[in-house]
Amino acid sequence: MKKELLKVKDLKISYFLDSEVKEAVKGVSFTLYEGETIGIIGESGSGKTSIAMSIMGLLTNAKIEGKIIYDGIKFNTLRQKELNRYRWNEVAIVFQNRLDVLNPVLTIREQIEEVLKKHTMKSKGDIKKRVKELFSMVNLEEKWLSSYAHELSGGMRQKVLIAMALSCNPKLLIIDEPTSSLDVLSKREIINLLKSIQKKNNISMLVISHELPVIQELTTKVEVLYLGHILEEGLTRDLINNPMHVYTRGLINSSCDINVYKELWGISPKINLKSGNGCPFYQRCVQASKECTQKLPRLSYISIERKVACNKGGIVTILETKDLSKAFKSHGSKIYACKNVSINVKAGEVAALIGASGSGKTTTAKIISGFLKSDSGSIYFEGKEIHGCEAMRKIHGIQIIFQDPFSAINGDFTVEKAVKEPLEILNIGSEEERKAMVKKALQDVQMPFDNEGLDIRCNTLSGGERQRISIARSLVMKPKLLIADEITSMLDPSTKANILRLLKGLQNEKGFSMLFITHDLPLARKIADKVYVMNRGSIVEEGNALEIFNKPKCQYTKKLFKECFHMTV
Amino acid sequence: MSKNIFKISVGYVITFLFIITINFFIPRFMPGDPFTYLSSDESGMNVTYSDEEMQKYKEYYGLNKPLGIQFVNYIRNVLKGNLGYSIILNDEVSKIIISRITWTLGIVIISIIISCFFGTLLGAVSAYNRNGLIDKIIYSVFMIISEVPAFIIALIFLFYFAAYLDIFPLSGGFKPFVEYESSFENITDIIHHGVLPAVSLSFINIGNFYILSRNSMIDILQKDYIITANAKGLNKSRIILRHALRNAILPIVTRIFLSLGTAIGGAVLIENVFKYPGLGTLMREAVFFRDYPLIQGIFLIMAVMVIIMNLTADIVYKKLDPRLK
Repeated sequence: MKKELLKVKDLKISYFLDSEVKEAVKGVSFTLYEGETIGIIGESGSGKTSIAMSIMGLLTNAKIEGKIIYDGIKFNTLRQKELNRYRWNEVAIVFQNRLDVLNPVLTIREQIEEVLKKHTMKSKGDIKKRVKELFSMVNLEEKWLSSYAHELSGGMRQKVLIAMALSCNPKLLIIDEPTSSLDVLSKREIINLLKSIQKKNNISMLVISHELPVIQELTTKVEVLYLGHILEEGLTRDLINNPMHVYTRGLINSSCDINVYKELWGISPKINLKSGNGCPFYQRCVQASKECTQKLPRLSYISIERKVACNKGGIVTILETKDLSKAFKSHGSKIYACKNVSINVKAGEVAALIGASGSGKTTTAKIISGFLKSDSGSIYFEGKEIHGCEAMRKIHGIQIIFQDPFSAINGDFTVEKAVKEPLEILNIGSEEERKAMVKKALQDVQMPFDNEGLDIRCNTLSGGERQRISIARSLVMKPKLLIADEITSMLDPSTKANILRLLKGLQNEKGFSMLFITHDLPLARKIADKVYVMNRGSIVEEGNALEIFNKPKCQYTKKLFKECFHMTV
Repeated sequence: MSKNIFKISVGYVITFLFIITINFFIPRFMPGDPFTYLSSDESGMNVTYSDEEMQKYKEYYGLNKPLGIQFVNYIRNVLKGNLGYSIILNDEVSKIIISRITWTLGIVIISIIISCFFGTLLGAVSAYNRNGLIDKIIYSVFMIISEVPAFIIALIFLFYFAAYLDIFPLSGGFKPFVEYESSFENITDIIHHGVLPAVSLSFINIGNFYILSRNSMIDILQKDYIITANAKGLNKSRIILRHALRNAILPIVTRIFLSLGTAIGGAVLIENVFKYPGLGTLMREAVFFRDYPLIQGIFLIMAVMVIIMNLTADIVYKKLDPRLK
């Protein structure tokens, strides 16, 4: 049985500002066991540092509710004087590395010696010996002991901070952003240093960082914090490989240390300050519904070792197909264009379906959108089984964009008519509403949307412009899943880049999911979160995009990548 | 380090030369001249000089020569330490100034020690209890003190403690026409006379020290290293004295030296209220009688004091703040 070292229960922190009270942490609970390392990640302002400061009892002008229990002692009810016995001696903190964190007019030696003097040692000789020991532990030359903070580089200062924190052999070490503002080499050194210290001394650590690689290397468990709420909790490796909350996924997608290939997109910063009683992440969530505006989700288990605070139980699956098969008869023999294809696309995700021409990608797309009927298998959209074009026929359903914008749009139509067509066929909205929807969609795809622009005939437009019209035509239906079937293969590189950025931007803003079908592997690598590799009608490999592009397992995939990226697999 | 000090010193030398130049020209552009005053004393008995006599005096003091030559002579004399001969007091200017400056320096230094000690201490107390009742009370009191002109405070003291209560003498720096029996008696008498001027003078500076100390402490108490010190579980006294005050003291030290430089000027009004035999009273007389050499001498000494104290402040600050080494 592991021993509980730190237990934070329903911690609430509010700051008294000039005229208002601002809640920074709203009911956070977690437990740190002896020898364990927990990471706290989250955007700035999520309350990470507030939690660290509250554990040390360093917050002034703030109200702290809930319990902070260290080794059975209720920390937040102790008086400063009683707390001083534990501070640094048992619980130490490595502050975020800012110049002012060390006193500018005292030497480094004095600043380290004073804690030893206060807490553990009385004899001068012992103190001197211990300081030397600490400096060699963090690989710093002793000559720096008599220098001042401003004479040290950022990396050296970080080492001093670590040495200082370790001076009394604390049981719990809180580390706040240990590597921010350091260069790559110093970063590496600090991470290795912390790792070795943890191993050697078996210290429990609470690591606060917005840098995921740090968290990945140092922690076993991680808490994801947003506006003072924990939205997800789990084992670090699992959580980073397979985030279950939209916010966590957004954080991971925003990290270029993890996404080495993908274009960077932050979580859309739609912030409406009035959050009400609902989910704190509601305004920025791609799968939010009305329920989320009213109900505050509780952090609860969705699998072993994984907790998520989401009204929908984490990222929902938008599309799921089970064993789709389709065969065509040719010269008397049956050819499977699609064989037992099972894919799933989650909310806000870009899944790429890649493979050579003729591998069955388009057939799959056609079956999902209802243009073809499968021989067997079933399709589930938002958890419900769908048949035929059902999902295509409704707002918030599935839409598809085709490869060839010239044949996908009637050239005799005006822009307005082309985009409005689905609304008219399905009889959605009044005439004015439709026009407004068309204008909005055109604005979204950056096409002229004044009356003159609406009257342009489609056959006078270029390929790129027509593809934008196709996208606009899909967007008027506000789809939850957009199937893009080789939409850029007929476009020149510059137009292709523009269309893709546009589409990815729209996806980031509006939060729809995409099934991106392409044989263009570099392109897939740039945008996909998840990859399905198809060969001869079957899915031969599937998984996290980064893993597949870095370490393909299937022979076929390896061959494809070898040709395309000249990689030696 | 020494190279830096050299650089700074060159700057101060240039400033000094500039000041001498201004010092020379200002009295010569003032209306009136010393001999019209010599000729009418305060009793109203007019002793008029004839044009011939005036011419003689002007020749004697070198005032009939062209300005350029007067200027060159002046600089030459100043550099020799010869500040000229007072027209009114019939003595060497440098001798007069030396005999008077000790009086002024005495009350100035004592007043700065008083104001610095209490101002800094109360400022620190205020900062530590920021926005609390103690802070509000101290702060308001000091705001009022620094808004009231110093000579009014001096007059109030004079009326109350000297005239009404009769605890302290009304004027002067010592009892006139008295033979002291011992040097102890001599010293007590001087102190007795010095208390009111020194305390009044303290009021000029104490507000500055208080505000400076309070602001500096408030600023320092919010620094990250104070949080670090708290996190280390150190005692309150160590945090305030070693971590906070050691940083907050830096601007205060500078202010002490700057105050020493300017306080002589500030003492003029106070000395005149108490008729204290210092440089301030001397200056008033010199200006009143258009005693050019004396005016120039006093101005020069005051300017030199400011320059020297500035330079000292620069050097001391650099010694105290390791970031500037």
